[in-house]
Amino acid sequence: MNRSTAATLTVLVCSLTHAAEPPKQVDYVRDIKPLLRNKCSTCHGVLKQEGDLRLDAGKLIHDGEVVRPGKPNESELLRRMTATDKEIRMPLEGSPLSADQIALVRAWITQGAKFPAGEPIATSPEQHWSFQPIKSPPVARVKRNTWPLNEIDHFVLARLEEKGWTPNASAEPGQLIRRAHLDLIGLPPTLAEQDKFAKNPNMDELVTDLLNRKGYGERYARHWLDVVRYADSNGYERGAAKPEVWRYRDYVIQALNEDKTFDHFILEQLAGDEMHDANTNTVIATGFNRLGAWDDEPADFALDRFDQLDDIVNTTSQAFLGLTMGCARCHNHKFDPLLQTDYYSMVAIFNPLKRPQNGRRELSRYAATPELAAKLKVRDDMIASEKAALRTLKDSFAVAIIEAGESQLPQDVQDAVLAGEKRNDEQKKLVAAKLADIDKATDSKLNKKQRRQLVVHEERIGELFKNLPSPPQGYFMFEASPTAPITHLLKRGNPSSLGEVVPPAVPRVLVSQQPKMLAPTEFTSRRRLSFAQWMVDPSNPLTARVIVNRVWQWHFGTAIVRTPNDFGLIGERPTHPLLLDWLAQWFVHKANWSLKKLHHLIMTSRTYQMSSHARKEQFEADPDNLLLWRHAPHRLEIEAIRDSVLAVSGRLSRKMYGPPMYPYVPKEALLNHADKTSIWPAFNEDEASRRTIYAFIKRSLLVPFLEVLDLCDVTQTSPKRKVTTVPTQALTLFNGNFVIRQSQHFAKRLVREAGEKPEDQIRLSLRLSISREPSDRELEVMKDFLADQLAEIRTQPNAKEKTEEQQRFEALTQLCRVVYNLNEFVYPE
Amino acid sequence: MNTSRFVPNETPCGQTRREFLWQAGGGFTGLALIDLLSRDNAFAGELAAKQQHFPAKAKHCIFLFMNGGPSQVDTFDPKPALSKYNGKTYKGKVKVGSNGRPIGHLTQTTFEFKNRGKSGLPISDIYPNLSQHADDLCVLRSMYTDTAAHASGCIQMNTGNVIIGKPCLGSWLSYGLGTENENLPSFVVMTDPRGGPIGSASNWSAGFMPAAYQGTMFRSEGPPLLNLATPKGTTEKQQRRGLDLLKDLNTEYVNKRAVNGPVDSELLARIESYELAYRMQTAAADAVDVDKEDRKTRDAYGLDNKLTADFGRKCLITRRLIERGVRFIQLYSGGGHIEDTWDGHTDCISNHKLHAGETDQPIAALINDLKESGLWDETIIVWGGEFGRTPTSEGVDKPGRDHNWHGFSMWLAGAGIKGGQAVGATDELGFDAVEKRMHVSDLHATILHLMGLDHRRLTYFHQGLDQRLTGVTRESHVIKDALA
Repeated sequence: MNRSTAATLTVLVCSLTHAAEPPKQVDYVRDIKPLLRNKCSTCHGVLKQEGDLRLDAGKLIHDGEVVRPGKPNESELLRRMTATDKEIRMPLEGSPLSADQIALVRAWITQGAKFPAGEPIATSPEQHWSFQPIKSPPVARVKRNTWPLNEIDHFVLARLEEKGWTPNASAEPGQLIRRAHLDLIGLPPTLAEQDKFAKNPNMDELVTDLLNRKGYGERYARHWLDVVRYADSNGYERGAAKPEVWRYRDYVIQALNEDKTFDHFILEQLAGDEMHDANTNTVIATGFNRLGAWDDEPADFALDRFDQLDDIVNTTSQAFLGLTMGCARCHNHKFDPLLQTDYYSMVAIFNPLKRPQNGRRELSRYAATPELAAKLKVRDDMIASEKAALRTLKDSFAVAIIEAGESQLPQDVQDAVLAGEKRNDEQKKLVAAKLADIDKATDSKLNKKQRRQLVVHEERIGELFKNLPSPPQGYFMFEASPTAPITHLLKRGNPSSLGEVVPPAVPRVLVSQQPKMLAPTEFTSRRRLSFAQWMVDPSNPLTARVIVNRVWQWHFGTAIVRTPNDFGLIGERPTHPLLLDWLAQWFVHKANWSLKKLHHLIMTSRTYQMSSHARKEQFEADPDNLLLWRHAPHRLEIEAIRDSVLAVSGRLSRKMYGPPMYPYVPKEALLNHADKTSIWPAFNEDEASRRTIYAFIKRSLLVPFLEVLDLCDVTQTSPKRKVTTVPTQALTLFNGNFVIRQSQHFAKRLVREAGEKPEDQIRLSLRLSISREPSDRELEVMKDFLADQLAEIRTQPNAKEKTEEQQRFEALTQLCRVVYNLNEFVYPE
Repeated sequence: MNTSRFVPNETPCGQTRREFLWQAGGGFTGLALIDLLSRDNAFAGELAAKQQHFPAKAKHCIFLFMNGGPSQVDTFDPKPALSKYNGKTYKGKVKVGSNGRPIGHLTQTTFEFKNRGKSGLPISDIYPNLSQHADDLCVLRSMYTDTAAHASGCIQMNTGNVIIGKPCLGSWLSYGLGTENENLPSFVVMTDPRGGPIGSASNWSAGFMPAAYQGTMFRSEGPPLLNLATPKGTTEKQQRRGLDLLKDLNTEYVNKRAVNGPVDSELLARIESYELAYRMQTAAADAVDVDKEDRKTRDAYGLDNKLTADFGRKCLITRRLIERGVRFIQLYSGGGHIEDTWDGHTDCISNHKLHAGETDQPIAALINDLKESGLWDETIIVWGGEFGRTPTSEGVDKPGRDHNWHGFSMWLAGAGIKGGQAVGATDELGFDAVEKRMHVSDLHATILHLMGLDHRRLTYFHQGLDQRLTGVTRESHVIKDALA
């Protein structure tokens, strides 16, 4: 019996045994396509076509002549799926299809192997748009050429005109200034700013002014912190604070305020220690590599090491390149032409990095270049020996004083000191605890000669510090040697299953030739620097596109590519591909990577300044504003909401930088934590009134106020805030301590600045919070509200204990609380 | 809304969203629909009741989390061989204990196992009340997990993964099934007065899903939800008047926008959310108001006994929440560290006596109560901790036991469960799961199955992957032996 007969027989047998429940009507899309994708497409799909066969689209299946409609038994597809010979049976690797699945395929063929027309067929992934060089498209031509203010508008209007649509009219000046302020600095405009802009609505001046404010860095740094998975703690059992990590946050704020060019911003974060002009700041910037969550007690140390590297590779590739490289950890990427080798080549770039730690305890390091760090090491060794000499001297003087009977220290301390090296554990503890007292007592009894002996050492220490001052401590990983460890591909991602050795390299699909790796220096491998330099090379097709797309999202709420972390085959296509390329080219070549210039260009476009109103035809046909026919309203991020609440109440602290602050967390919210008494420091209102970017982000205890209002996922790179609307948010904003407290401050401010008249208070409350005057009706209902509140307050048993002023203040506080909860407050127009 | 969960998806890295849209959409304009589906905004979209993959055995799930790791050989997994080798050194292959703690000798249990109920299921005398329900319990004796540490253990038991940042079982259920009662959260967590589990919020986080799916803390005393109560100094009348003004002004604004065209649904949803919040104030307070229960019920749950009062109260509230349609409730027994939890490092005997004593009567009462109210047929109960404990003592001649993640016991009971049986087995001494090994992800697959969801089809698209509760790298299986 030859092979094919055997196989045919098997088919027959199978079909008899499993004829169980023949599916009634098989739907290709529902039943067959997903099945073939999961079982077959790795070898017979768009990425790989074993035997020149593709099974990822109906037409391709027919073209491959593996099905004969109506004749399952004559169809090669079914024959191979049901074969018992393992060398014939498909899939060759992995488990065979189940009886049910085979029955489905059989029924599909029996019913004619139909598939719907118009099924998209994926093109070769190498041809994917984002892997192609960035084009320099000419500025689009438009009919209505009075509308565009700059090039952006040409591209946007051209698309709208194709559709026969017009863009929205411009927003009112009051709406515009509020939009621009909240967008760029995350705070609403003051009355003076509103008045000024109303008189002279000059967007160019306004944007330039806002970009020069410190608040710009504080606002936009938070966007970046989302992308780089910033948090102040590690998570897991101890959830230890990452020492000095806030310096990285400050670095980002400063970098943005100084308009550090984005290419430098990338270089510094990935390889700031390896740059030729490295300094304290660029070394702090490499904290980027160490921001991930970290389990100080991992289940498997080898795996943990690769989890840490995965965190870096995954974040780096998504943040800067828009590639989901993490998908290639265990196998080649299922959709993008990214190989498992590409993944481990990227691991090889970061593999030399070490985490400074002492067991479970994380350590900070001098934020110093490797050269300086080496010198500091020598200095510190010398200081340590000076200190040891000092200690020996001090100890011997202490002993002498005690032996001379001149010591007034308690007897047990004296005994402990005298015991010297023979101290028992208790005595050691005692000496350690009382060392300051002992030294003080010794010091008071020293003679000149003894003092001189000490001074020699102290002066030497002083000299050492003076000759080489200490830079601040920082939180980052470091390379301990110029020799990089060997990196293997891990089969199935398993650290104990070593595959081939892989060189450091960039994803192969993106280059025709691998960039040259720089030679190691005396201190580091310079792999990261090589990699970062390739990233910021103008020929890189992704880097510039990815960042201009993000910036667009930060201004408009949605991006041109609506999956900002995924420019691969399953990411969204750009809504305005030409605009995206034009912007990317302009950003690199005209703006020289200046983010501030990019902000300015975007915000002075007519597109940015359109009103947010919905028009029926456009809204129904394009509810998601893909064609940019309006400036779609989008909810403020919680940081901007919280900061605006504080600004409006007049309580916002403008203290910048430094160690984090701790917003108020209700006691009840702490009870759910293993370390409920020590997990969160006591509340300090002045500190907590700083901008939200300075709030401590503890991975195991997110501040409920922030969490419930859709703070990003703080464990992984987060491309976009989710916007949910649930009742617990209403409870938080309407009943929670923070808004209640700020409502009181707000009410005080209204009395202070608007006086006693309810109309004036109401007017001011809306101007401060939503930058507009109340309508007549609003004024009426708000006045009625104040009167009703006052009446209710007066019916309370304790009303008599309150002055008229207090009663009015309480009513006004209730009004402020409502104002803070207005839709307009969180959805700027 | 994200209906991609209905698409069969066997291999790790499922289909593309674009394909899905093409399948689902047909006539829709591609991109518009893509965004429509990827966007989570309106309340209804997130927590509205959704259809299961197949008819469900259960509508509700109660997870009794024995925080710290109960000892299998002292509770549900009798090991006569341990008595035989009592005091001997363990020479087997299994890595004993966690992180450098001292390893003692093989140590027999001090509790007595008896065959219970008609089925004869062995349970130690640590559980006199629960033993009366032996015929309802399906003990899973061959559970195992990937980690010996509490944080990653708890996180894995809740999210399927030892790495933080993944959504919890309760989040997946809320995402997959929605809620039956919009006035209450769909995923409720009640922790122990001594503290929460190690790893804290990672244990009820929605991870990469929207925050709407995260667990909501319910307190058993005082206002159950954070910020639920009307603020101090504000009367109910003031509160309602404030909400009325808010609604008035927000509606006015919507009307103003409506003059020019359609109104964005997010604005309407936000108006509605304040009304829901107001109703939640009453509904949640009512759900925890156990004073409305009669004396008999209070006694049954042990509310007036100091030992059982807290867990009893939580169990009673659980029943009240189940009655009100809450989908997933997780109760923690034990909180904080070491002896305040089931983590019996120093004295496993008195530790387990305490924690079993606190929970035995309340759990038994909950089962009874669910049966009487008819809710038993639509509810499943899961019992267990993040791992088990070593059959050896921790340190020679000490009464403590260390962590054991190679094999431990959990139990299931209720709708769709075949009770009165033990499934799987550990080795002769109780270290290693050897028969019908069940990974934490298998347990998750089973729970989803009972709730009408296929763990391979319940997916959420994130970072280029159709993510699953049971992960994308391991093949997980429903524990069929446990099913009725």
